[in-house]
Amino acid sequence: MRFEATELTDAELALQAEVRAFCDVELVPGTYEPGLGMAGSVDPGFSRKLAERGWLGMALPTEYGGGDRTAVDRFVVVEELLRRGAPVGYHWIADRQTGPVISRFGTDEQKERFLPAICRGEVGFSIGMSEPDAGSDLAAVSARAVRADGGWVLNGTKIWTTNAHHNDWMVTLCRTSDTDDRHGGLSQLLVDLRAEGVEVNPIPFLDGSSEFNEVVLSDVFVPDELLLGAEGEGWAQNTSELAFERGGPDRWLSTYIVVEQFLRECEEEDLDGSVVELLGSATARWFGLRNMSLAVARMIDAGDAPAVESALVKEMGTRFEQDVLAALERLVGLEVAPGSESLFERLLAAAVLTGPAFTIRGGTIEILRSVAAKGLRP
Amino acid sequence: MTDQLLIDTAERLFGDVCDFAAVEAAEAEGFATDAWSAVAEMGLPWIGVDEAAGGAGGDLVDALAVLRVAGAHAVPLPLAETGVLAGWLLASAELTVPDGAVTVAPGDPADDLTLTDGLVSGTVNRVPWGSAVNDLVILVDDGDSATVVLVDTASATLEPYVNLAGESRDTLVFDRVEPLASGPAGDGVDADALLYRGALTRVMLMAGALDAMSRLTVSYTHEREQFGRPVARFQAVQSHLVTCAQEAAIAGVTADAVMRRLAHDEARFEIAAAKVVVSEAATKATAAAHQAHGAMGLTKEYELHHLSRRLWAWRNEYGGARYWSQVLGEAVVDVGGDGLYPLITGGSAALG
Repeated sequence: MRFEATELTDAELALQAEVRAFCDVELVPGTYEPGLGMAGSVDPGFSRKLAERGWLGMALPTEYGGGDRTAVDRFVVVEELLRRGAPVGYHWIADRQTGPVISRFGTDEQKERFLPAICRGEVGFSIGMSEPDAGSDLAAVSARAVRADGGWVLNGTKIWTTNAHHNDWMVTLCRTSDTDDRHGGLSQLLVDLRAEGVEVNPIPFLDGSSEFNEVVLSDVFVPDELLLGAEGEGWAQNTSELAFERGGPDRWLSTYIVVEQFLRECEEEDLDGSVVELLGSATARWFGLRNMSLAVARMIDAGDAPAVESALVKEMGTRFEQDVLAALERLVGLEVAPGSESLFERLLAAAVLTGPAFTIRGGTIEILRSVAAKGLRP
Repeated sequence: MTDQLLIDTAERLFGDVCDFAAVEAAEAEGFATDAWSAVAEMGLPWIGVDEAAGGAGGDLVDALAVLRVAGAHAVPLPLAETGVLAGWLLASAELTVPDGAVTVAPGDPADDLTLTDGLVSGTVNRVPWGSAVNDLVILVDDGDSATVVLVDTASATLEPYVNLAGESRDTLVFDRVEPLASGPAGDGVDADALLYRGALTRVMLMAGALDAMSRLTVSYTHEREQFGRPVARFQAVQSHLVTCAQEAAIAGVTADAVMRRLAHDEARFEIAAAKVVVSEAATKATAAAHQAHGAMGLTKEYELHHLSRRLWAWRNEYGGARYWSQVLGEAVVDVGGDGLYPLITGGSAALG
């Protein structure tokens, strides 16, 4: 395992400047409610504006509307959006995860059908992995698709499905046959969230928000052409999908905006030695994590599969998101009001209430340590 | 970036001359004379020093790469002191670098050394190998001007001390001593610049040591068996291995970032950030490495302490995590909310 620091090229710096100029115009403070990194709000209009500039589906092939650009280019765009709490919710999963997976495993027909729409910011995807009895142990999924004329009939329940109530499609991991190997017999189906038999029930989160859902699938018909990749290869496809999920700036920037907004709103007398020290130590850590994360993007561009490195970054990045929040919360010592007129206070409230999710979503830190440890051999 | 051949050469040489027994002996005897001779013969201590001043060619980045390898081998020699610090100070003052090992007074806050009528008086503290090395370079900075002074340690009264790793860090007291040589420090060379450059050397040594410690911990836990299997198979132990690897990785990547920046420009932000990162990494990774090793890691006969004690000592040499966090924090307050992310991404370039 070796992370190598890399610098942005002149072309990448020019892209960074372009994104910054765009954000300065489109994300004027006070005109939108910033979110915490990838938890930015759902705004299809904003997603389409990004698409117009070629900043969605950046690494997808040009023949399907993508940019054929690098993972580093995508990194440069995404970090600028996340640090401003931009409304990335509508396209986030499709752009980060579903697009690359369809591009890699999908049929030509699926690519033509979905990739251009993803690149135009016109389609939102959900992830149908977890189930009530299959969380970290994903091989325990019991949703089952049975052969039918021209397709599959799908039954089961998915849970923790972010934005299923807004989105159009869900990539659904389900069992299509029984094998002795518990990782065998799994497949991925592209399920239309508006199809007959799909019921989306909100699961209110502890802060009162309801982006989380339970998706109940009752005799949902999925035509043959919506089987993603090969039947029985769902586990391997799913594992490769997770590599797209991990290691990016969304795993260490969730609470960045809380600190930045503190800096904007604080009075000079708030900046005592302890606060200055925290600002400095957090900045050093962001600098280090960003260099690690950028190194992962360069590895992807070099054709490597940095699954272990990504797990290592995600595990430490998400813990840091919580640590910096805890340290700031302690120093500020506010009786936090979620409905405050102060944006800093609203962001702090949201971060405290949703912070435990950082080290759970996309693989718990316990699972990630197991993944990373596999790469630590003599 | 750096000449791989140089790194391989250093790796082989340090592996040969600084094995477990040599590092132990250096601590007992105060200096590793044989190791020094071998390393000096290859010219490694003078890489990056101006050839006109008696250097050995190569540039600063090459010298830093060698320090990283030295850190990984717990090399008990004044490598950082002789070239990167003393060589740099002497060359800036257009003085000639002596042939043997040279050490440097790090600029301890308690120092009170003055240069009056061409004579040196006062105390310098925490001088690495002050008791074993003859030539000592001191930067006398009174705030208005800085002078580089080369003195003979034999002309001082010596109070021997060591750091947590048993490396000598002595106090030397001078009373109207005539320097061997002296001259005004070059442009940009002052007490602050020495602090940054000293921190830079510790960043490199520590990045190397953290990487070696992570590898050592991985191999030990794969050999050591309990409950009928290697302890590395237990999730609780794996979590310590992951911590060691993560901290080694973040230290390594920030050290890389410093070297990349230094290859073409000043790197004050990167050095400050790296010293915070490696110092914090030292604390977290040594704790995890020792926990994973169990009691064996605490014994004199096993090599972990060659790395862990150095990391504990070096983390506070030339400023610890708190000091450098404050330096960075003040820069953050200066740039404000609008400037914070550009600072994280642009580093020193964003400070102009």
